[in-house]
Amino acid sequence: MGYSSVDLLDRYRQDARLSHDDLFLRYFELGGMSTEFELEATVYGALEPSPHDREVIAQALNERFAELGGDHPVPYQ
Amino acid sequence: MNAVNRSSGGLTVTLGFVQDQAVLGVHGKVDHHTVSEFAALLDAVIVSGYHSVVLDLTAIDLMDPAGLRVITQAATRVVTSGGELTMRSSSTMAERTIDAAWLSRLVRQELRLPIADRLGPQQLGGPPEMPVRNEPTFPRSNSERIVASSTDRGVVDGALRLVVKLATATVGAADGASVTLRRHGRLTTVAASNQTVSDMDANQYSTGEGPCVDASVEGRWFHAESLDTETRWPAFTPRAHALGINAILSSPLLTKDRPVGALNIYSRTVAAFATKDQELAATFATEASAILTDAGMDVTDSQLASRLGTAKRNRHVISLAQGVIMERETIGEDLAYTRLREFSQRTNRPLRERAEDVMTSALQPQPGIDYGLMGSHDGL
Repeated sequence: MGYSSVDLLDRYRQDARLSHDDLFLRYFELGGMSTEFELEATVYGALEPSPHDREVIAQALNERFAELGGDHPVPYQ
Repeated sequence: MNAVNRSSGGLTVTLGFVQDQAVLGVHGKVDHHTVSEFAALLDAVIVSGYHSVVLDLTAIDLMDPAGLRVITQAATRVVTSGGELTMRSSSTMAERTIDAAWLSRLVRQELRLPIADRLGPQQLGGPPEMPVRNEPTFPRSNSERIVASSTDRGVVDGALRLVVKLATATVGAADGASVTLRRHGRLTTVAASNQTVSDMDANQYSTGEGPCVDASVEGRWFHAESLDTETRWPAFTPRAHALGINAILSSPLLTKDRPVGALNIYSRTVAAFATKDQELAATFATEASAILTDAGMDVTDSQLASRLGTAKRNRHVISLAQGVIMERETIGEDLAYTRLREFSQRTNRPLRERAEDVMTSALQPQPGIDYGLMGSHDGL
């Protein structure tokens, strides 16, 4: 891993073996405010997230990686 | 229709407005030389408040990835604001490029197609190399346009429709087939080969009986060889007769051995389904079950409700903890969240757990214990 571009958030999602629905539920649980569609557009790079939104998405992904025995590979900024 | 023309490099864009619809006709090349102009025009149209935007790419020669990205972002903005983006394309080059881009950048990996359902990839009809028109004549039918819309289950339902078509075509005396699924606690038909079949299903849902209902609930196979002699479903059977159906074969759809629906095959012929047909039906039901399992449809409504309930509770706790940290550190909401997140990152613990710690400390303050919420956030 080590993807850096914001539009590669979806690569992290795939690596984390999360469906879009699962990611949205985790994102919502962590306080995310975007709709499911907006989140999906964001991970594909079609919407630019706010810094806070980016942090929540990264946290949702990183917590999943932690569950899988990994670290926090997704950059927060 | 009002229309304006803008040319830049190898790109010409025709912009017109018809009632509440904005129409951009793109001619030539969208590449790194012209993409900025293309993006600016598209942006101007969206900003102007047109909820229905038509992008006519029938005369485009080249659309590079940057141009596709512009379209992707535009589609997202339009859909997010409740509008729709319609793309028209008949250029072979454009279609191939666009199709590949949608698939590689926008398709859900686990289902393969949902986002494509939202934003596109149905290819459009129309003659090749159609010239740009100032006033497009887009038929408003699904088969002739790409419409950005939102649906999560489109691909699964599409796969099930394929199963229905295959079952209808290969099971000897079948006059139609359907797939019933339990969604939100109710049985519903997600794929049907014709209206009679839909009506047959609906009659079973409304009467609460019939092979389709029983297979969906009990998770086993039901075969009505001849409705003339059928006694198990007295309310439903007359309605089936009225529609001309005389034999029904309903096979359960199972995910993790739990019934979630049924594959129903109907025939006007008495004793229509031979042993071979029954085996075929079972095979298709197995395939449909696999599709549902792969798509994660094995999560029950109650399980989903439970997960959502947990998520809402945790979200609430996190929000409360943010408030506590904001008050204690005199910082803003986002920074308070970052404090929680940094602790999670450092300790590899879920953010929720740290939020619970913060709330515990807030509700049961113990003098002399430093919870690390003041000053440096290292203690978080």
